[in-house]
Amino acid sequence: MTIMNEKETVLVIDDELQIRRLLEITLSASGYKVLQSSTGKEGLVEAATLHPSLVILDLGLPDADGIEILKKLREWYSKPVIVLSVRDSEKDIVSALDNGANDYLTKPFRSGELLARIRAALRSVNENPDNNFLVFDTLSIDLQNHVVRKNNEIVKLTSTEFLLLSLLARNEGRVLTHQYILKEVWGYGYIEQTQYLRVFIAQLRKKIEDNPARPTFLNTVSGIGYRFGS
Amino acid sequence: MKLVISKFRKSVVFSYFVSVMVVALVTLLCYPLSNTQQYYLVSFILLFAVFIMAAFMTIGPVFLAAALSSLAWNYFFIPPHNTFHIEKTDDILMFVLFFSIAMLNGILTTRIRRQEQLAVEREERTALLFQLTQQLSKAGSIDEVLKISIEEIRRNFSANVFFILQDGNNILYSSGRLQKDKMLNSDEYEVAEWSFRNKQEAGALTGNLNHVDCTFFPLPGTKLIPGILAVKPPFQVAGEKRTFWLTFITQVSNALEREFLAEMAGKARLLDESGRLYKTLFNSISHEFRIPVATIMGASDSLLNSQHPVNVQNVLSNEIFTASVRLNRLIGNLLNMSRLESGKLSVSLDWCDINDLVNKVLDDLKDELEFFTVRVSIPENMPLVKIDFGLMEQVLYNLLFNSTQYAKPGTNIDLLCDFENHGLQISLKDEGPGFSEEELKKLFTKFYRVKGSKTGGLGLGLSIVKGFVEAHSGTVTVENNHPSGAIFTIRIPTEVTDFKNLMILDDHE
Repeated sequence: MTIMNEKETVLVIDDELQIRRLLEITLSASGYKVLQSSTGKEGLVEAATLHPSLVILDLGLPDADGIEILKKLREWYSKPVIVLSVRDSEKDIVSALDNGANDYLTKPFRSGELLARIRAALRSVNENPDNNFLVFDTLSIDLQNHVVRKNNEIVKLTSTEFLLLSLLARNEGRVLTHQYILKEVWGYGYIEQTQYLRVFIAQLRKKIEDNPARPTFLNTVSGIGYRFGS
Repeated sequence: MKLVISKFRKSVVFSYFVSVMVVALVTLLCYPLSNTQQYYLVSFILLFAVFIMAAFMTIGPVFLAAALSSLAWNYFFIPPHNTFHIEKTDDILMFVLFFSIAMLNGILTTRIRRQEQLAVEREERTALLFQLTQQLSKAGSIDEVLKISIEEIRRNFSANVFFILQDGNNILYSSGRLQKDKMLNSDEYEVAEWSFRNKQEAGALTGNLNHVDCTFFPLPGTKLIPGILAVKPPFQVAGEKRTFWLTFITQVSNALEREFLAEMAGKARLLDESGRLYKTLFNSISHEFRIPVATIMGASDSLLNSQHPVNVQNVLSNEIFTASVRLNRLIGNLLNMSRLESGKLSVSLDWCDINDLVNKVLDDLKDELEFFTVRVSIPENMPLVKIDFGLMEQVLYNLLFNSTQYAKPGTNIDLLCDFENHGLQISLKDEGPGFSEEELKKLFTKFYRVKGSKTGGLGLGLSIVKGFVEAHSGTVTVENNHPSGAIFTIRIPTEVTDFKNLMILDDHE
């Protein structure tokens, strides 16, 4: 974990007092400063005035649908948003991710899991976006020269594999939906061709994972997409 | 329709023509005998010709042949020749006799033929009815009965029919049962309704309410009237064919009534079952949910109100966590069961890497699996399969979770995935106690719990497995492993990827 010079602030927008209290205790204990809002409107105002480093957003808010709040927030807020909701259908999750959420966690959740997601989301922001050289444990990716090294040895990747890997790696910690990845790597016409994605992910895993059966970099998010982690 | 009529006319005209020609030909052939005294012989030859014609033709042409031949005989052969005048009294008698015999001959022969034909037709109808009855007896649902009936009626009567059934409370629906696109307009519905209430034919070409463009026949039932049969364009049958038609729809109606009653009985049973389901559900909920809730309350209360050393605090926190995981699992299973029960389960098939699926489940269950040796076998060339990831994840989770609950720690759990005969096959073998014959039979039943099983379940896990697998049109079976344990095998028909085709895409820049 990176050492924080000043406390990162996390804004929790959730109407359930118990959840807010739990999050405040858990996040404070991990060194974050916690702001709270119980309605969507209040949350938008707080986000605009207090500039939190990250927003945790519930979808079932009393005054507006969380997706609408997310859309409004995304008009100007570029920092990570993690959705935390009881809604667990693939449709809801994909909709939240497509509308700009970085990650999605369903309630009930494990605090450890939430903290890990928050760390991953913040790290990707803190990294220099112009950085063309990404390093994750034993894996390094030179975006400019298209060179990928695993344990300091060059890994031969096809152009599509490289595109796919660099897209995921540049969005470390963020869940990218199947459709988004297909659109970015193959183009609009391939948006339904999830089998391409599966095949190429399997190939990539064989090349960069220590144990392709237990991937650590290319993580599957069931029925939704993939998340790059390290 | 016009074509048929013109063909028919043609054939009638043609047979009259043939009858004239035959008489002319026979007369011509016999003409050399006209100057002899052999004109009696000619009469026999002509009679024979009429007789032969009667065997092939309908009454009209035969009549014509009889009349023509008697006239020809008179004109050409009875002296004086080439006149219709007859000199001798016995010749007049002969002429009258000839005419009568020719006529009678024609009438009798055609009547015999007609009866023979009717007998054949009747036999055919009996055969058709028998065939219909046989087919209908094989039908296992209302829709199957209707499908067969519509097809058979089209084949035997060339009529386009659809069935308007009642809803079980004597209210007619307004559209065809199988053919939802066949909607009745309000006029037609009124007539249909009248026909249904009065058990009489109505609509076009009938004597009742014939202002609509559709003919309705009530389906005669013994206990209830399943509905009515609508024919569009209108349809009419008469005579023998009508009897056949009525017998036909009676057969259909009987079969329909049988299925109708069965369906109603099924609904009643379902209601009864869901009543029982709720009772069991509430009993289970109150019991199964209270245990983890009690743990959470007790442990947290103790944490709040007593000063415990850190290690005891940890134990209590752990208890709370375990109980909440258990509660969460119970809620998950209940939600899944209600999705299955409501019939609103939607299966969204997408390409899936079985390795992903297995990893996800093993990861979710890593705490439970800590003391087991899990051996996973997935072929190197395993293709992608098209399944609903979320549902199958639940299926594998429930099966694997069960094994961790019943098998002893330290034993092996084998997870074998394979692809053969256009299907995905997943087998899970454990070395637990296995099941008795009785248990094997009831295992997939809702709320069924094996005797002596650990607390903490509603008995829903395996019925969810079965429901989700069947939603994929697949099957799940269970047998005992040797020397001990259980083997669950899932088979799901699915599409596979063609890897060769996919590799071409890698040239993409």
